[in-house]
Amino acid sequence: MELTPDESRVLTELTGDEIAMPDLVARVGEDQAKVAAACTLLAEKGLVTVREVPFVEFVFKGDPLPEGWTPPRQQIFAALTDAGEPLPMQEVAARAGLEPQAVGQNLKGLLSSGAVAKQGGNLALTGKPFACPETDAVRLLVQKGTARESELLADGVNVEALREFGPAALGKKAILEREKTDRFVQLTAAGEERKASGVEAVREVSQITPELLASGEWESVRFKPYDIHLETEPFRTGKKHPLQRVLESTWQAFLEMGFEESVSSYVESGFWDFDALFQPQDHPAREMQDTFYVAKPGKTPLPDEELVRRVRETHETGGDTGSVGWRYKWDPAKAMQNVLRTHTTATTVREVAKNPKGPRKVFSIGRVFRRETIDYKHLPIFYQVDGIIIDKDASFSTLLGTLAAFYERMGFEKFYFRPGFFPYTEPSVEVFIWHEEKQDWFEMGGSGIFRPEVTEPLGCTEPVLAWGLGLDRLAMLLHDRSDIRDLYLSDLDWLREEPRCR
Amino acid sequence: MPVIGIPTAELRRRIGEEVEGDKLLEVLGDMGCDVEGLATLRRVQCVRCGFVMELAGKEDTPPTCGNCTTPLRDVDGATREMSPIEVVRMELLAVRPDMFDPAGLARAIRGVLGIETGPIEYASHDVVAKLTVDPSVRREKSLRPHIACAVIENVTLDDDSIKLLMKLQENLHWALGRNRKHASIGVYDLDSLGGETEFEYTTEPPDYRFVPLGATGSEPWTLERILDEHAKGRAYANLLQGFDRYPILRSKSGQVLSMPPIINSEETKVHGKSRRFFIDVTGSGARIVQKTLAILVTSILEYHKDAKLGLVEIHGATDAGEVDGPTTTLVTPDLSPQIARVDSEHTAKLLGIPMTTDDLDELLRKMRHGISKRNGTEIEVQVPAYRNDILHERDLMEDAAIAFGYRNIPRALVPTLTVGKELHSTRVTSDLRDVLVGMGYLEIFTIALTSTEQGDELLGLDPHPRAVVLDNPISADQTQLRTSLLPGLLQTFARNRHNALPQRVFELGEVSFLSDEAETGAHERHYVAFGTIAPKVGFAEIRAEAEAFAREVRVEFRLERAEVPFLVPGRAAFLVGKDGGPVGIFGEVHPRTLARLGLQNPAVMFEMVVPTETGTPPYLALGQLPLQK
Repeated sequence: MELTPDESRVLTELTGDEIAMPDLVARVGEDQAKVAAACTLLAEKGLVTVREVPFVEFVFKGDPLPEGWTPPRQQIFAALTDAGEPLPMQEVAARAGLEPQAVGQNLKGLLSSGAVAKQGGNLALTGKPFACPETDAVRLLVQKGTARESELLADGVNVEALREFGPAALGKKAILEREKTDRFVQLTAAGEERKASGVEAVREVSQITPELLASGEWESVRFKPYDIHLETEPFRTGKKHPLQRVLESTWQAFLEMGFEESVSSYVESGFWDFDALFQPQDHPAREMQDTFYVAKPGKTPLPDEELVRRVRETHETGGDTGSVGWRYKWDPAKAMQNVLRTHTTATTVREVAKNPKGPRKVFSIGRVFRRETIDYKHLPIFYQVDGIIIDKDASFSTLLGTLAAFYERMGFEKFYFRPGFFPYTEPSVEVFIWHEEKQDWFEMGGSGIFRPEVTEPLGCTEPVLAWGLGLDRLAMLLHDRSDIRDLYLSDLDWLREEPRCR
Repeated sequence: MPVIGIPTAELRRRIGEEVEGDKLLEVLGDMGCDVEGLATLRRVQCVRCGFVMELAGKEDTPPTCGNCTTPLRDVDGATREMSPIEVVRMELLAVRPDMFDPAGLARAIRGVLGIETGPIEYASHDVVAKLTVDPSVRREKSLRPHIACAVIENVTLDDDSIKLLMKLQENLHWALGRNRKHASIGVYDLDSLGGETEFEYTTEPPDYRFVPLGATGSEPWTLERILDEHAKGRAYANLLQGFDRYPILRSKSGQVLSMPPIINSEETKVHGKSRRFFIDVTGSGARIVQKTLAILVTSILEYHKDAKLGLVEIHGATDAGEVDGPTTTLVTPDLSPQIARVDSEHTAKLLGIPMTTDDLDELLRKMRHGISKRNGTEIEVQVPAYRNDILHERDLMEDAAIAFGYRNIPRALVPTLTVGKELHSTRVTSDLRDVLVGMGYLEIFTIALTSTEQGDELLGLDPHPRAVVLDNPISADQTQLRTSLLPGLLQTFARNRHNALPQRVFELGEVSFLSDEAETGAHERHYVAFGTIAPKVGFAEIRAEAEAFAREVRVEFRLERAEVPFLVPGRAAFLVGKDGGPVGIFGEVHPRTLARLGLQNPAVMFEMVVPTETGTPPYLALGQLPLQK
């Protein structure tokens, strides 16, 4: 049976004879609480018995009483007797040499004696005899400071009167009555046996220190056990943002599929954001209402003349792409106007122009801008991944396969491809993924094969598969958020609590 | 996109074959419709003009009639409750205005389901009316040069069909007309004109008068008053801005039909007993005017199977914009198909599905195209006049893919092997994130749009001279692109005032600057910022962290004292790079800045330029602030 150092020391001091707790504390030489706790533990182990005897004790905590002190009741009675007539309370206090409130406090005791009565606002004697039975008891208690009820009774004082009139006489806080217990400790037979088998005092330590390790003392100490359920200060790890993790998974997925990464500026010309993508100049997406136009820097010079001519002709008449075109007058000024890019398709179409010869796979992850008021579904900025595949063997079938491969990589299994309609792709498709927990389809973005009206003016004659997929919504789905603002107007508690691993 | 409700019962009746509820929605989706689902709508009718309004859920009766503008709400007897109706709610598919109404939609569905394939011939008989165009419609100050007309006879109307016709007009105005700018439609009761068959399209001055729709029993209004006071006048007056004469369509005897593109006349309005329509479309472009008429007319003929089309001869029409240029005589509407060609081998290759010429032939007929000729693998296609979206062979390939069904297309990968390659900046920023996470920092994202108040002023700096500024911001606190990450960091602390401390956050992202070297005049730079707010934090901590971080990034630097308004003087430093210019800054946040944000704990922060492949660009977040030696 393992004993703590305190238990061992207590056990050593005990015998078969009963010993009072204060004596035991003195013998052990430790503080009362430790010895008492050790006794309790030893009793639980059946090595000692602790006999408890309850008693009542009075304590006086006030200042010593002056010579010839009498209780205030007595003083009030004496003052009234001296006056020989009823007196107002104020006057009584003055004559008795008391604070006015002392008269009030002792009034109940006076009236209950029957010797004093109230006459309107005055106090008057009734003629009945008056006695003050608490006087001796109070004097004795004040003298002793602390006294057991049994002691006072043995001295013949009136304990009941002390209880009743003492607080008024001395002040409520100066006198205290409390229940206490005497404890007597004694070894049991098992305890005597245990003591006989030898008790060794072991040191208990909380903190492992370099000294403890160096001295080798760690071999003989006992490590204080802790309450493992006790709350501690929370520890907060550093973490990447949930949206960043989705961006990185996307990045990883396209690198693995053999794509090279590309980037372009937030500020983009109308030419590359719209015109090169065969988006007619009066298309609603180009209106001031939907797109951020840039005041500074306001314009981008048009690219080389030959390219501009081909794009213009394609818009106006279809040029030599086999298209009938949009049939309107194309305005170079609109193509020069700067906007905040509305899609990263501006980045990928620049790549087609830069190097139109396949096989090529390019992707770009970046912020795009739409002129939206902030609410739970909309932000003026969000992230997209755009991708293109330039390949003579690329087809609509391989487009759907590539999109499915990407979303499979992101952890989804079911897809729905719905016909979509975009000015720059044909055929076009909108991509939906199935969310098993939410039991619903979610639209992720648009995709298609670039129209010949887009690719041919850029000198590209192979099919170009293209897509622009929203990543914020994917992050919201994967992290179960329903308000897109959570991603950008960060609540740190959410970020701290959202586990890193899915 | 506006959302429309297609009456389900009407649609099913017209499809003709039983299609289950879910299957119907699936077919619509597979054709590219953005279907929201089925809904039951309450219907109230304006007693005065017969216009029917559909109300979803708990929607209240509108204050005024959507057609004649009579006050309705809280007026006893102004409306009549009709039986509720079940509809398929879906977004208007702008590229397919021929599918805006149940008749046109059913025509397409019947094809896709193979119930009926190939084109529909809409028989027209003879020219039954004549319209003369006055050259004044081509004047610069009264310019609405193009018009096309048609007559439809033998129609039988009821509340539902009048409602559908009005809806269709409204939706065509949105999709093709761009809110009546490019094309606007008028439909009139031909019988109200007492057998007249000659019309003119001309212009009149502002004091010209007629009774506009909704003004029954009143004296004629001047055109000026219509624009100022009539609900439709006010709504569309912008289309006639700067005009000194306004377009007028009237009969030879002087009965006004309408003031395009604003309002029809009261006398010629269509009602339940109308049997013959006169229809006009006016607008700024000849092609879109013709197209809009063709789509409207074919939808009406598709809906009213017994109706007959009458042609209208347009005299004085022209393609040219000159007032007195040469003119021609047209006969409208032109429902002749557009001829296009598509090759089955090209189609099979592009779509990645095996396909014979016969297969392609069948798929195109399912999309209601006609096949006029076949030459080997090439098919000559007759595209119906109501299609407005066939610009190129490629569009027919998409039609074939839709008829084939996207869900039936096998999914494959491109067989060519390519090697992936990342940008240097993506690799570096990823490494930096690892370092910061290792330092115990939590990553945040903030919005890259800001304003001088939210950005420079918060830091106590002058407006940044190299900020990218928006022309049409949507709110006062988002007028430019950010030039520093520090304001976002401080605002994150402010937003999280009530969350537990210490807070340690970082952001790694792009900031934008004007640049003469950049093609578009501006470029992005990657910046990194981190900071801590805690009851006890100070310069010693941020200095130790700044040095540790810069070492991981392999940036060579020395420290120089920094005096900036947002950091405590004497407790702020620049990281100065090899070439002597600052590459970053750190220090204790000034109590003035903390107070501005209501922060009651000390904070420290750090910002630095992320090195590129070619070196570390200068730190520009503070504008033109001189370096303090």
